[in-house]
Amino acid sequence: MKNKYIIAFLSLAVLFACEPKIDEFPSSAGTADFSKYIAIGNSLTAGFASQALSQEGQMYSFPNMLATKLKEVGMQGELKQPLIPLINEDDKGIGIGSDAQGNPVFHTKLKLGLVPDGSGGQTLSPVPYDVTVSSAELGAALLTSVAGDGPYNNLGVPGAKAGHLLFDKYGTYGAMHPVSGDPLFNPYYVRFASTPSTTILEEAMAQAPSFFTLWIGNNDVLGYATSGGAVDVLTDLTEFTTYMTAIINTLVSNGAKGAVANIPDVTSIPFFTTVPYNALLLDEATATALNTAYAALGITFSAGNNPFIIVDLAAPGEVRQMQEGELVLLSIPQADIKNPDIGLGSKTPIPSQYVLTAAEIQAIQTATAQFNDVISVLVNNKDIALVDMNTHLNTLKTGLLYDGISMNTTFITGGAFSLDGIHLNPRGNAVIANFFIDAINAKFNARVPKVNVTDYPGIKFP
Amino acid sequence: MRKLSSLMLVLLIAVTTVYAGGYQVRLQGQQQTTMGLIGTPLVFGSSGIFYNPGTLSFMETTYDFSAGVSILKSNATFQKDFTNYQAKTHNPLKPPFSAYGAYKINDKFAVGIGVYTPYGSTANWDDDWAGRMLVQNISLKAIYVQPTVSYKISEDMGIGIGLVYATGDVKLQRGLPYSDDSKVNLNGKTSSWGFNVGFYYKISDQLTFGASYRSKIKMKLENGDATFTIPQSLGALVPPSGTFNADLPMPANLDVGIAYKFDEKLTLAAEINYVFWSAYKSLDFTSTDVPVLNSSSPREYSNSLIMRIGGEYKLNDKITLRAGAYYDPSPTSDIYFSPETVSLNTIAFTFGATYDYSENLQFTVSYLQTNGMETSKSYAPANFSGKYQTVAYIPGFGIRYRF
Repeated sequence: MKNKYIIAFLSLAVLFACEPKIDEFPSSAGTADFSKYIAIGNSLTAGFASQALSQEGQMYSFPNMLATKLKEVGMQGELKQPLIPLINEDDKGIGIGSDAQGNPVFHTKLKLGLVPDGSGGQTLSPVPYDVTVSSAELGAALLTSVAGDGPYNNLGVPGAKAGHLLFDKYGTYGAMHPVSGDPLFNPYYVRFASTPSTTILEEAMAQAPSFFTLWIGNNDVLGYATSGGAVDVLTDLTEFTTYMTAIINTLVSNGAKGAVANIPDVTSIPFFTTVPYNALLLDEATATALNTAYAALGITFSAGNNPFIIVDLAAPGEVRQMQEGELVLLSIPQADIKNPDIGLGSKTPIPSQYVLTAAEIQAIQTATAQFNDVISVLVNNKDIALVDMNTHLNTLKTGLLYDGISMNTTFITGGAFSLDGIHLNPRGNAVIANFFIDAINAKFNARVPKVNVTDYPGIKFP
Repeated sequence: MRKLSSLMLVLLIAVTTVYAGGYQVRLQGQQQTTMGLIGTPLVFGSSGIFYNPGTLSFMETTYDFSAGVSILKSNATFQKDFTNYQAKTHNPLKPPFSAYGAYKINDKFAVGIGVYTPYGSTANWDDDWAGRMLVQNISLKAIYVQPTVSYKISEDMGIGIGLVYATGDVKLQRGLPYSDDSKVNLNGKTSSWGFNVGFYYKISDQLTFGASYRSKIKMKLENGDATFTIPQSLGALVPPSGTFNADLPMPANLDVGIAYKFDEKLTLAAEINYVFWSAYKSLDFTSTDVPVLNSSSPREYSNSLIMRIGGEYKLNDKITLRAGAYYDPSPTSDIYFSPETVSLNTIAFTFGATYDYSENLQFTVSYLQTNGMETSKSYAPANFSGKYQTVAYIPGFGIRYRF
């Protein structure tokens, strides 16, 4: 009899024993078909970060993050990306700059390092990841074709403008502009274009995507902005409209759905907001000396912070002080500012390529607004989602908070941008991926699970 | 037929729901544990020191010693909002214990001393989990020592009072946003004083009433150790170690219960516990040598009312079966819910048996299971939200010797 009670007691324990279980997120594709996903765009789509494209950056590209979630709602296969080769088994990354003569120079990605601060101490600053590897070696590695392993789902090409997606010389190695002699091809595309004359858009359409993301047009303003309005130009509105119309109409021509992101206000990114217009710090003696030197132009200095002196061909004497609201580019040689022999920004006026003047900022913002209007109209006429990245980046400017980690657009410490101050770091890309998911879910009545932002690394401090 | 119905009763009681919350652990007597953790209206010898000091003078023997330990296995699951991210705690087994000794000086007075662990909390999340900025792991334990005196006012009424000396020990590890493995470890010990009073009234041979009140004890951690693990290049930002002060309230409890003895075999009881959790407004850290530690994190707990029922059935001279259940509503806030204390509305059931080996020696086995109901909670200051669920399995064993 006793045993019966014991059995009854034990069976109760078994009856109620269960692990704490919560049902999985109920994902659904809604009205979209994610079976074949293709990402089209520029450096932001490619996973470019810290001045280079690297395997790590590609693994943390927003399309790759998005793909991990789209797989839960029907995406087939892997998101194939044209991975940058390792060099000596090391993921150094490959970026393209130019020397003083305008010839291309290949370099590695940046890392955060301790450098002398000029007054005996050390300061954290972005430094090249590896200075021992030669430009030639990096260039050869970049141009080694990986087309044979294609086709690729991530067709993001660093540097691409809207028109480049339609341009049949963009993947033709050696194609030069007949008049200017500038290269028309892009090594980042040459390496994976299936044939030299296949356009990026053709590359996409050949794979018959059922779903695409398109984020293009940034370089149509950014190229101008990062050259201080001095080298590149803003794309003409009519041309931009023609390109975007062709791109979007083609992408949806076979019934594909997609998400199109618009262009953020590039002047709010750290590349333009890190060095203040009045960061010229003077002592009494230097201020007095400069007052004498600039007396003829009526420019005065005082001890403490002063606006930089810049070149402005329209100003009397072709130099003037910066105004509040004007921007100094992160590319400015900062050591030359402190160097008393050069005195960049004081003795030596800052050349135009390192500064955005009020007029240039106005031109950039006007173009951005016009381009975004074009994108809005095109997207609203189709069954595709608009990702309002312009608004989102403005909210990032005031700060976003994820799981107790705050992010904003401050250089390095803001936690969202990579060390080049233009492109995002992995955590920033995760935020971008979620902006895409929000827009996709809203448009297609889908339930794509979001990326867990704080799973992804921010800036790595040594 | 009689036996069948008593088994049914046990089953019914077991499936009825009960609750408990915050970081309180009420496993202070194995016999009470078997019966839905009801203690105030029942005379269980020396373990009344915790549950109701007023019952002590009603002890049946001159000496009464009891001790018990439970094995607490608790875990929580978290599902982050809008994602398919889930995390689980990997909590170590915890052994809440109690030990009591009581001596009946004469017909009126009894004295006793108890050592028990009324508050404790453990949450071991993975170091890289999504809520790491709020907590990676925490271990909180308090040990109370309570000398007690009880006075029998009349043949049917008793009062008792105990002085509580409490020691507390907190270990908390939190992530820092500087790198994947940046963290701060906070470690503190403290002690404080409080009291416990109880009243016991035998209304009739069948009906008994009990009430007890345990005072709030404010644990003030002073000069706790803070140790930082951060990237070397940021050494100027935060020193490697420092000290901090913090307060943590152990809230007051008011317990009121009744028991009804139907016959020599069957007793049923009910109790309510009002827990003054609103004392826990925020978790504040202050530090003079590490300014970044200064913080006030809202918790905004509310008072809670726990409802318990339980029953006892004497099967024969040797074996007594008990079962109980309770509902413990969470005192936590919906928007200031920190995963350091995953306290949800909880339904619990208990059962167990006491075996009288001899007139003097008694063994008790108990089983308590608590089920936290799946709830959406957020910690708004960190924009951290999701669903939580908890389960705890708590088998226990007790021994009592009296003469």
